[in-house]
Amino acid sequence: MMNDFFGECREAVLKGDRAAAEMLARRALAENTDPLEAIENGYVPGLWEAGRLWDNGELFLPELVMAAEAMKTAAAILQPALSASGRRQKTQGRVVIGTIEGDIHDIGKTLVATILAANGFETHDLGADVPVHRFIEEAESFKADFICISALLTTTMAGQKRVIDLLNERSIRDKYRVLVGGAPCSDKWAAHIGADGYAGDAISAVKLAASFAA
Amino acid sequence: MSERIVFTAFLKCLEDGPILFDGGMGSLLLAAGLESGAAPELWNVERPQTILQIHRDYLAAGARVITTNTFGGSPLKLAAHGLDKRCEELNFAAVGRAMAARLESGKQEAFIAGDIGPCGRFFPPLGDLDDKSLSDSVQAQVEIFAAAEVDLILIETMVDVQEAEITVRTARKLTDIPVVATMTFDRKPRGYFTIMGNTPRDAARKLADAGADIIGANCTLAPADMVELTGILVAESAVPVLIQPNAGQPELADGRIIYRVTPGEFAAEMRKIIIAGAAAVGGCCGTTPEHIHAVAESM
Repeated sequence: MMNDFFGECREAVLKGDRAAAEMLARRALAENTDPLEAIENGYVPGLWEAGRLWDNGELFLPELVMAAEAMKTAAAILQPALSASGRRQKTQGRVVIGTIEGDIHDIGKTLVATILAANGFETHDLGADVPVHRFIEEAESFKADFICISALLTTTMAGQKRVIDLLNERSIRDKYRVLVGGAPCSDKWAAHIGADGYAGDAISAVKLAASFAA
Repeated sequence: MSERIVFTAFLKCLEDGPILFDGGMGSLLLAAGLESGAAPELWNVERPQTILQIHRDYLAAGARVITTNTFGGSPLKLAAHGLDKRCEELNFAAVGRAMAARLESGKQEAFIAGDIGPCGRFFPPLGDLDDKSLSDSVQAQVEIFAAAEVDLILIETMVDVQEAEITVRTARKLTDIPVVATMTFDRKPRGYFTIMGNTPRDAARKLADAGADIIGANCTLAPADMVELTGILVAESAVPVLIQPNAGQPELADGRIIYRVTPGEFAAEMRKIIIAGAAAVGGCCGTTPEHIHAVAESM
């Protein structure tokens, strides 16, 4: 019975069906289904499957964004019940995330932010075209564990390095895990600029961040 | 059709064998000190000598087609830098730099391609772009290119076939100048796809139907990963194919962004791409006049 319900949640996310995801979240509340279980056993596995299909080239950006949107809709509905029950998704860490200055590409970054949030990271999304110093100021005031920097252009990726350089200058580099992503980046790039890691898509970003989480 | 004849010099030239385009512009501007994140189009007026020199170097290297520094020159894209009001000035200046380089080099047989990149916004469900905003933006840039008398229009690095189609259609409606349209594919276990899921077959058919005289692929992939893609595009396309790979993936060394595919390696792979049927070749990010020179030598 429960497994069917979770299966439906999973399908709703995988198909990017926001209406179904919303309806199922309301049903979970009405039927006193544990909201945390609905998220962790229902919706999140849908996102993981979407990510696997993306890796394979069976599903593409529009579908992936729709899946993340469905996930976001359901999570927003379940959130009040989660807070009220005093139970929280186990926090994996606090994340400040944004696209580097000069770069207006928002989609991949938003997707990563959504999927990190869905997987228990507390996420502060700074948007796109974020100045180098703002990453650091926001990370400081948010008491972030992670700084995630997206760059989609070869002309803007050097900004990722400038964030790390500035952290070093201020002698606070060790306070943060710095993760980078975006089309022109790579593991090599991350190593070169002194980042803690690179993720090529939202699902690997979660795996990477989780590997550093306590 | 009679008016079209004026502009067919470029298309006729293709019949005489593979034609060589130039290589990267943005990566050279960064190497010359362009601030990461700044609009490269500003240099058409602020650092005209740099732009001029890049065009000269590509012509000297043997490129038959040089590409204007207008990749982000559409009003929609310039608006991201608050520069949309300067669209006309920056695009005209860009064509001017290319023409000056051609004149100085005495290579009147060279062609100038007016470059159009993606508008930077997406159609629903990813974004709120609509057909009219896109075609208005494309129109602004194409009208400048037509007035400035470029020899062809190069629409490149497209990831969404819907945007590519509308861009080609808009250009085709406004002018008889040859239109070239290339898309950016990634290599997945199941084959080549754009991030939107468009296939080479899809792109080849829709772009030719929209009126492109040449279709093809550019950016993201290294040349070795584009050999197979070339074969697929050639098989699916009713029109000639242009291939412009990157010189590998960007890496950082000693604080500078570098691309590891050497001119020699690049030229060797480009030979395979020509054998696979490409009618035109050139380079994208990370390629330099040295890469283009090596290809010219091997052709």
